[in-house]
Amino acid sequence: MGLSSPVPVGEGFQFCVFDLRRGQHEGQELDKILFFFPIDSPLPLQLSVIGLSEGLITFTRIFSPDAACEVIEAERHSHTFYQAEPDIWMIMVVEKTKDTDAIGRSDALQGVLKEVHSLFTMFFGSIRGLLEKQPGGGTARSLLYFFIMDYLAEFLVGKKLQMPCSRDCLRERGTVQMLTTGREAAIEVQSLVRLLESSCVANMSCHSLVLYHDLLVSTTLPPGDTANLFNYALLRLTPNALSSVTSSWSYLRKSSSGASQESVNPILANIGVPSEEVSHSSRDTSPNRQGQRHHVARPLQRGKWWRGEDGFAVTENWGSEIGNRIFYTPTVWLQQIEEHMHLCVYQHKSLTIILLISTSLLVNGEQGISFVKQLLLENASLKILKVEEKLSKEWGGENAYHVRGYRYLLLDNDSIVSRASPPGKVTTLSKGSLMAMSKLREEVDQEKRKAKRDDPDHEKDFEVCMRAKNNAWIVARVSRGKELYMVLEKASETLLFASEAVDKFSNRFRPEAS
Amino acid sequence: MASNLTEEPAVEAEVPPASGREQTPKTSVVEQTHGGSSEAMEAEAANGLKPFTLEKIDTSNVENVTVEDGLKARGSVGDEIHAEDAEIEGIRGKNGSPSECREPCSEPLNSEEFHDTNQEIISAEDHLKTLSFAENQVPDNKLDAISIENEPENVRELEPDIDAMASVASPSSNGYAGSSSTKSDGSFSGIEEIDRGGTEPDNGVDEFSESASWVAGKRHLNEDDASISWRKRKKHFFVLSHSGKPIYSRYGDEHKLAGFSATLQAIISFVENGGDRVKLVRAGKHQVIFVVKGPIYLVCISCTEEPYVALRGQLELIYGQMLLILTKAVNRCFEKNPKFDMTPLLGGTEAVFSSLIHAFSWNPATFLHAYTCLPLSYSTRQATGAILQDVADSGVLFAILMCKHKVISLVGAQKASLHPDDMLLLSNFVLSSESFRTSESFSPICLPRYNPMAFLYAYVHYLDVEMYLILLTTNSDAFYHLKDCRIQIEMVLLKSNVLSEVQRSMLDGGLHVEDLPVDPSHPTLRSGSGSPHLGMQDHVIAGSPRQENAGIGGPAGLWHFIYRSIYLDQYVASEFSSPINSCKQQKRLYRAYQRLYASMHDKEAGPHKTQFRKDEDYVLLCWITQDFELYAAFDPLAEKVMKWLGCEVLEWKQDRGSGVETRSSFWSGGVPVQAAELWSRFMLTVKV
Repeated sequence: MGLSSPVPVGEGFQFCVFDLRRGQHEGQELDKILFFFPIDSPLPLQLSVIGLSEGLITFTRIFSPDAACEVIEAERHSHTFYQAEPDIWMIMVVEKTKDTDAIGRSDALQGVLKEVHSLFTMFFGSIRGLLEKQPGGGTARSLLYFFIMDYLAEFLVGKKLQMPCSRDCLRERGTVQMLTTGREAAIEVQSLVRLLESSCVANMSCHSLVLYHDLLVSTTLPPGDTANLFNYALLRLTPNALSSVTSSWSYLRKSSSGASQESVNPILANIGVPSEEVSHSSRDTSPNRQGQRHHVARPLQRGKWWRGEDGFAVTENWGSEIGNRIFYTPTVWLQQIEEHMHLCVYQHKSLTIILLISTSLLVNGEQGISFVKQLLLENASLKILKVEEKLSKEWGGENAYHVRGYRYLLLDNDSIVSRASPPGKVTTLSKGSLMAMSKLREEVDQEKRKAKRDDPDHEKDFEVCMRAKNNAWIVARVSRGKELYMVLEKASETLLFASEAVDKFSNRFRPEAS
Repeated sequence: MASNLTEEPAVEAEVPPASGREQTPKTSVVEQTHGGSSEAMEAEAANGLKPFTLEKIDTSNVENVTVEDGLKARGSVGDEIHAEDAEIEGIRGKNGSPSECREPCSEPLNSEEFHDTNQEIISAEDHLKTLSFAENQVPDNKLDAISIENEPENVRELEPDIDAMASVASPSSNGYAGSSSTKSDGSFSGIEEIDRGGTEPDNGVDEFSESASWVAGKRHLNEDDASISWRKRKKHFFVLSHSGKPIYSRYGDEHKLAGFSATLQAIISFVENGGDRVKLVRAGKHQVIFVVKGPIYLVCISCTEEPYVALRGQLELIYGQMLLILTKAVNRCFEKNPKFDMTPLLGGTEAVFSSLIHAFSWNPATFLHAYTCLPLSYSTRQATGAILQDVADSGVLFAILMCKHKVISLVGAQKASLHPDDMLLLSNFVLSSESFRTSESFSPICLPRYNPMAFLYAYVHYLDVEMYLILLTTNSDAFYHLKDCRIQIEMVLLKSNVLSEVQRSMLDGGLHVEDLPVDPSHPTLRSGSGSPHLGMQDHVIAGSPRQENAGIGGPAGLWHFIYRSIYLDQYVASEFSSPINSCKQQKRLYRAYQRLYASMHDKEAGPHKTQFRKDEDYVLLCWITQDFELYAAFDPLAEKVMKWLGCEVLEWKQDRGSGVETRSSFWSGGVPVQAAELWSRFMLTVKV
């Protein structure tokens, strides 16, 4: 059974970022606001949303000083809170529609806020850092404005923003999807990674990620940084994201990637303002910055990455300043390894190689990067061809990880890796099954939070096997930091059968096997 | 119903003084709801206006007592009629408190079946009990039916006197003598609302750390929102008016919490002004739940991690308890004066609310929306039902005989049904008001699910320490009639030994999983393998009597279960037994059931059919059909057994068709019998 039409997130959708340390005096409340969507919202409305949020943050701290407000559930709206940095809050308000599957789990909605913040931080550092650098807040506002607007465009379906809902219950935002390779291919990939490292100058901090289609093949970065870069790659760097034609498929972004390919930000276009003409001052809530215009790097802007003739991806208008030097190659801040790195992207057919070179050691700027690129081509070209060839032979297509009869999501929280049934297959599930799974995941989220609070060092294992009212088996199993969610719509009547099916699946497919 | 009502002008009354007992009767408004001419209504109204006085018989407490109709009397349950009957004195004191003594069953099971038409209500406990015991292990508490009888022709209901309500201005006008100890003997009895350290070490304040036994009434009056201890209380309940005036707070003095109350009001109003209605705010393990009932706002702030729907349900019950005392007509006070202060109307009822809130942590009726019955033999219950039925024929709307929170027998007028929530609120009201224990009483009460707008009159009389009779009528003049009814009932109950049987049943306790039979052909079967994490040792049993198996759970690792009959609105829960011994373990299981119930009954996705849930503490199984719901907790080490059992249960269902037939075929052997059978088959199959 198919799903109903996309759930519109219409006029009731709001997204804001505010700083509780600003605008402390009466009459200066607008100074708190760093970003507000929709941008044309009247100021009283903006202040009302911020006011309610701030009020509830203060109120909940009376009882819960360590964890302030996370969610407000009202009859018509759901407010999701995320304290991105100390006193810097991101709030997303999603309107509930008559369609009962409209609202996703609160953790899924919060996942959107977490993702946008971690991607933002990867490119621009912390918001607090920007505010300290420029206390007026103009830079932070400009960067946030374009970044979040570009990010929200990913959720556009038609003219509506579609936030995660119950039908996304078998996906996990912000995780990495891995390609399972055979032994031979794995050895080839391993030797490619060694070659990539040798391309860098001796002692230079260098990391790499290798992707095939939309799946990760190899990484030398810790899980958090890998997940951030992987998700950025999915948005802008993979062959699908680079090409300007309609994308084919993506594990996570199929529904939205084909919907907005214009170079003009569709959200900006929807409100009738061409993106190039938009100045953040038009909705700037701080009166002393009227008329400011900045040249703003927009890492998430569509259509700004191309594949050059040498196979390296290039982007325009991305000057970044590190110390006194200017780089035109994008740089990223990797939070886990705590380093600024240059981002070099090489692409051969469906193979994408992301090479990260520390900015601190590359003394001669762009020239140094050119040298590294040249070295890479000389050393690794043949190996790249070979790896691509091997992987393409093993490539099972977009339904490679479909397991007949099962609709599943496997999560490994330690390595931030997930594997799921292809989206096309998940859509065959009935609305009732998806709703039941979404609700069960909400319960599991709560159990996980509780277990974490009770004893952060002890991972609680548990399992729920539920026969929903439509007779589907809805299964959740949490064990040693790994989670399995499964919907069996055609399973037999018995709990034993369902349980055995889950065991069989668990033994065969494990995230660590990827 | 309310639209048909005509209102008589209320006679303005003076505010009764603190004791209120010497006051002359005030006024009431009588309204006709079921047929009857306007003349009749006027006549009734006139009756209602007539002062109603009687002299107490009990010479030890000589005073004239008045019954105040409507809300004037409402504010003073402690001021009800005190007319003790010498005849009952002999009965009092015979019953001691229930001990732990549990006699083995000796009497044969009455084979008569219980349910035939809607005229009869069958005790779910009875039902399950019949099914649960093998013939050679029959308990003496046999089963029968509770019947509902015909409604009297002239059913009247009373609407409260709003002006009188508004005129009650002094907190001292109440006479509720709360603070009775209402520690229950139910299956979850004795669970104190204590979260000492354990899983929540940060929450330093124990709710009932002062005493091991729970005592009704308000505590921590000296606290307010500035107190650290107040902020750390695990579960707050607040009631406030739409203008932000505090009406009730579980902890702290309402008057000191005016500022906090205004904050809650501001949050609700702020969201309302945006065209929305706030339901829940979550922060860490804290949840703030809002319920708006017209001009009355109810808020719960909890870090107990109960499901939202459960906490919301608790607020609904608190509101219901408030309606039981005041009726929904209190809204009109707010219409007349938005700043109306409702606190005085509820003065003295702290024990009623604290007892209800305490029930949220031990009484499954609060989330199951079902009531439980006292196990009795068929003939005993039949005899009880018959005498109550006679009474119902003489114009009583409901006649209820209860023992603590368990129903012994219930008779209702035809077409009148008593909602389980009303039953819970009514019994809580009676049990938590000390004054009901000391004298026979006649008090206006409202059944919110029956008619939230009108008062009924409740004649309440304790037949012994724990057993009490409630006769509900619409007639404010029925005291003497109901008193006669009570005397009649009491005589019959005495003659037929019902009272002594009830006492024996209380001593015997309820169902025990250890009593569930184990297949004797498999002498090596382990029943309820001990759980290492609870420090239990394995025990081996082979269909031996309960005494020898004490402390090991039932067959197939069964530790506890609750069975709810959907069409009877009744449930039965097994008694707690080892390894669910401590209050903490019992409360944890209670909360696990609560979560399971919420999960299975999800408003959007549910109700689901089956759920198997395993964690480090238990294996929980829930099975819902159109007839019944089964909640069971098993040893987590019995996982494979349970999976197999679950599988069999479903196959069974498939084999036997659906509906009643399924239930009767599956349950007729009793859950335990089936479980034991399945266990044996499992052992043979998997060769464990």
